[in-house]
Amino acid sequence: MTSDICAFGSIRYGNTDVNGLVFSVEEFALFDGPGIRTAVFMKGCAMRCKWCHNPEGLSAEKQLVKKQGRCIGCGTCSAFRQMPISDVRQLLNLCPQNLWRISGKEYTPDELAEKLLKNADILNANGGGVTFSGGECLLQARFLADTVAKLGGRLHVAVETGGYVSESDFGLIKDIADFVFFDLKLICDKEMARYYTGADIDVILRNFDTLSKSGIEFAVRMPLIPSVTDTPQNRAAVAERVKNSNAAYLELLPYNKLAGSKYGGLGMQYTPGFDESAEPVIDKEFFRAYGIDTRVY
Amino acid sequence: MTDRVRAIYDRLLSRGYRSLRDGTEYELAEGFARRGLSWVERAAERLKFMADKEKAVVFENDRIGFIRTVSYLPPLLTDAEERERKDKYFVFDNGGVGNISSDFGFTVTHGLEFQRSRIKKSMESFATDSAEYDELSAMLTCIDAAYVIADKYRAEAIKQGCSELAAALARVPRQGASGFYEGLVFLRLLNYMLWLSGNKHNTLGRFDRYMGKLYAADIASGALTRGSALELTEEFFISLNFDADLYPGIQQGDNGQSLMLGGKDPDGRYVFGDLAELCLEASLDLGLIDPKINVRVCAEMPDEVYILGTELTKRGLGFPQYSNDDVVIPALVSLGYDEDDAYDYTVAACWEFITPGKGMDIPNIDALSFPLLVSRAIELACDVKTFEDFYSLVKSELDNEVRRIAESTRNISVMPSPFQSVLTDDCITTGRDIADGGKYNNYGIHGAGIANAADALASVHKNIFDERNFDFETLRAALDANFDGYSKERALMLDAPKTGNNDEFADRLLVRLVEDFSDACAKHRNERGGIFRAGTGTAMYYVWLSRELGATADGRKKGEPFAANFSPALGVRTDGALSVIQSFTKPDLKKCCNGGPLTLEFHDAVFRNETGSRKVAALVKTFIQLKGHQLQLNSVNRDALTAARKNPDAHKNMIVRVWEWSGYFNELSAEYQDHVIKRLEYSE
Repeated sequence: MTSDICAFGSIRYGNTDVNGLVFSVEEFALFDGPGIRTAVFMKGCAMRCKWCHNPEGLSAEKQLVKKQGRCIGCGTCSAFRQMPISDVRQLLNLCPQNLWRISGKEYTPDELAEKLLKNADILNANGGGVTFSGGECLLQARFLADTVAKLGGRLHVAVETGGYVSESDFGLIKDIADFVFFDLKLICDKEMARYYTGADIDVILRNFDTLSKSGIEFAVRMPLIPSVTDTPQNRAAVAERVKNSNAAYLELLPYNKLAGSKYGGLGMQYTPGFDESAEPVIDKEFFRAYGIDTRVY
Repeated sequence: MTDRVRAIYDRLLSRGYRSLRDGTEYELAEGFARRGLSWVERAAERLKFMADKEKAVVFENDRIGFIRTVSYLPPLLTDAEERERKDKYFVFDNGGVGNISSDFGFTVTHGLEFQRSRIKKSMESFATDSAEYDELSAMLTCIDAAYVIADKYRAEAIKQGCSELAAALARVPRQGASGFYEGLVFLRLLNYMLWLSGNKHNTLGRFDRYMGKLYAADIASGALTRGSALELTEEFFISLNFDADLYPGIQQGDNGQSLMLGGKDPDGRYVFGDLAELCLEASLDLGLIDPKINVRVCAEMPDEVYILGTELTKRGLGFPQYSNDDVVIPALVSLGYDEDDAYDYTVAACWEFITPGKGMDIPNIDALSFPLLVSRAIELACDVKTFEDFYSLVKSELDNEVRRIAESTRNISVMPSPFQSVLTDDCITTGRDIADGGKYNNYGIHGAGIANAADALASVHKNIFDERNFDFETLRAALDANFDGYSKERALMLDAPKTGNNDEFADRLLVRLVEDFSDACAKHRNERGGIFRAGTGTAMYYVWLSRELGATADGRKKGEPFAANFSPALGVRTDGALSVIQSFTKPDLKKCCNGGPLTLEFHDAVFRNETGSRKVAALVKTFIQLKGHQLQLNSVNRDALTAARKNPDAHKNMIVRVWEWSGYFNELSAEYQDHVIKRLEYSE
């Protein structure tokens, strides 16, 4: 299996371009759109937000993940830790504490659609559906479009995107989504954005305009990171953008203080680079003054 | 919480009142034996003795009352008599009456004087030397004992200037309650007297039904406002907690004080009235382990009730537990309960479905270990060619085990409880103690470890028959060695399909086990003419039966516990709540309706805003529509429990759900604490 990720390249798995890499299918996802939903978290993201709470979504490769805290140091895992990931799957069960798993499972569109449709009755009866998230799910836009085609209109589809993907991948969104959550994180300053999110905001804003003109219903999400995104300049920049778009509403997401909790399991360090203990500015009225329907999660 | 409720609540949490207790171990049995008293006479005399010894404790502003001051309850039989009894009879769970539901409604409405007159009238139809006459005389003695307690409390209430309590006790228990408040005082006295009688697991039944008329009349007349009724209900709820430490079951907190709210009427109408709502509010406000709140639900139930229920779930007590009328009522009818009684069902101490005020069902008489049956079949599997051949071995082990249990219940001895008999329909007319049987005398058998067993079957199916990864001989060797040296085989077992993933391969085996358990039970009758009901509960057997059981074919190691009740095996990573509810609603649960819920655990962050709570409510509704029979939800936070384990003093009042009752985490033994923590590791 080969994978490839560059700033604007799609992720492709295998020789065909139809497989997707998923790191979690979460049933009963509560905060990813209306009703009872299943969220599909796709692996791989070109952004590197310093506050990212879902580091499994960063790498576009399969990874070994270890649950933290209960290791008894028996060393059983030394047998498989260095092995190629394709060989270790059944060995993980040897850990007496059951701490290991592989992050990243390959699906064909048929397989994923079948899995999602198993719950279609419950999802539809409860005003829900499926939400593709990540990582950056649109890096695998072709796969999503193929999967959605297999769903055959039987499930409402939402997409959560940071918008940092190629124009052509973003263009597929009309074949994918009934509803989009588009993140506007840090758009007031190109250099700051590059530093804190690793992204080029011109790409993001171009895709944002595409979405706004597409006729697809969408909402904007803004993470409130203390002294990074919650500054008056950035709030004003986001408010202007949202006001001049067709966004249905704006959702403010105050910084999740548990954001760093998943890094250890991947053998990664969490280095937020800002004061985690500070309280973000949650000023709904600021945005309401622009005439924006604003909600706080 | 109002100031006055807060004061009583603080008194409870300080536990200071417990220092008033007299711990003397009085001896009665030798004297009873010398006087040649019958068991019924002894039960009544002991109650009278206890009533005489108890002191009335009334604190400032008390309106409910009844706190125990004598903590030791002397046995009715001498040691020699008890030994002889156990030699001669099957003695279940200390051999007393309990875990049934009283006819509180009738007594609270009519008063004990009315019952006394019924008893006296009934005595006329029996000879003075008959057992019935003795029983009825014992009932009168018990009523007198209740009066002794009531009068002491009345006198003390007057002394302490608690005029409301004094006024209430001038009427109840002799006369029926004239209003909601008097009803609560009466009910609390009856609950107290049942405990004082030595009954175990004293349930509260359908509180909103039998108290509903009194409540509605007081609201209509203006005697009470909703706020004042809530305050009284909270005071009543607190009073049920005062002596909970004197009433331990297997663990502290396992005392059976369950209370049922809402339900469908025989006309098909679902009712969840204002009083039911008020009870949810009171429990939410107090956050105490008693009473244990249950809610009857059905497809027609309005969404608001689910939302109210979810608010309580969020509180982290493990309440409410939901029972599905759409499944339970037809199930009880098909088991032979009269339709009116089926519509009137409530739960026993935990989740067993029983009919209030009439039955002497023993719905927890024993438990079978499903994984043990599969392991036995593996032992026997010599010349087995197909999975069906193998399954027939399991089925025959199941039949054998149910037969063994059924036979072991013969010659039962239940200690009489004349006071409980006053509160049970028909005992007064027949002169029979409820211990000797009521309108319903069915026994229930818990089915422990059913998920582990279905998983073990799936593993055998896949690894031995489908993929031929190993044979029975290797499997036996691996299980005998507790997988030592068989890690590859164990990995294959752990990798086989598991129930809880909405996967047909494993789920159809769950369906079969449920069905075959039901069929096996249907072949037997108990000596009281009752049936055996198959159940999905485990009670403490998820720990007891797993302790000694060797490794099992699902990959479980020796001694690892089963899941509590009807839930995926511990350690199984499921796809999530939607898959779990679909897997566990596939069996026809009408056939296995002794009770025993599916438990879903949610991290407390799920409830952090209204969106999360509404979605949990929608999930409960979905479960009910899928025809699940019983559901229990927990809002949990593993980190908080781990912290409580490390530093118990800082978390004295942390409450967790154990197997179908909630208890203070720090009062549980380490084994049960571990299980609670362990089952959470996969829910976060």
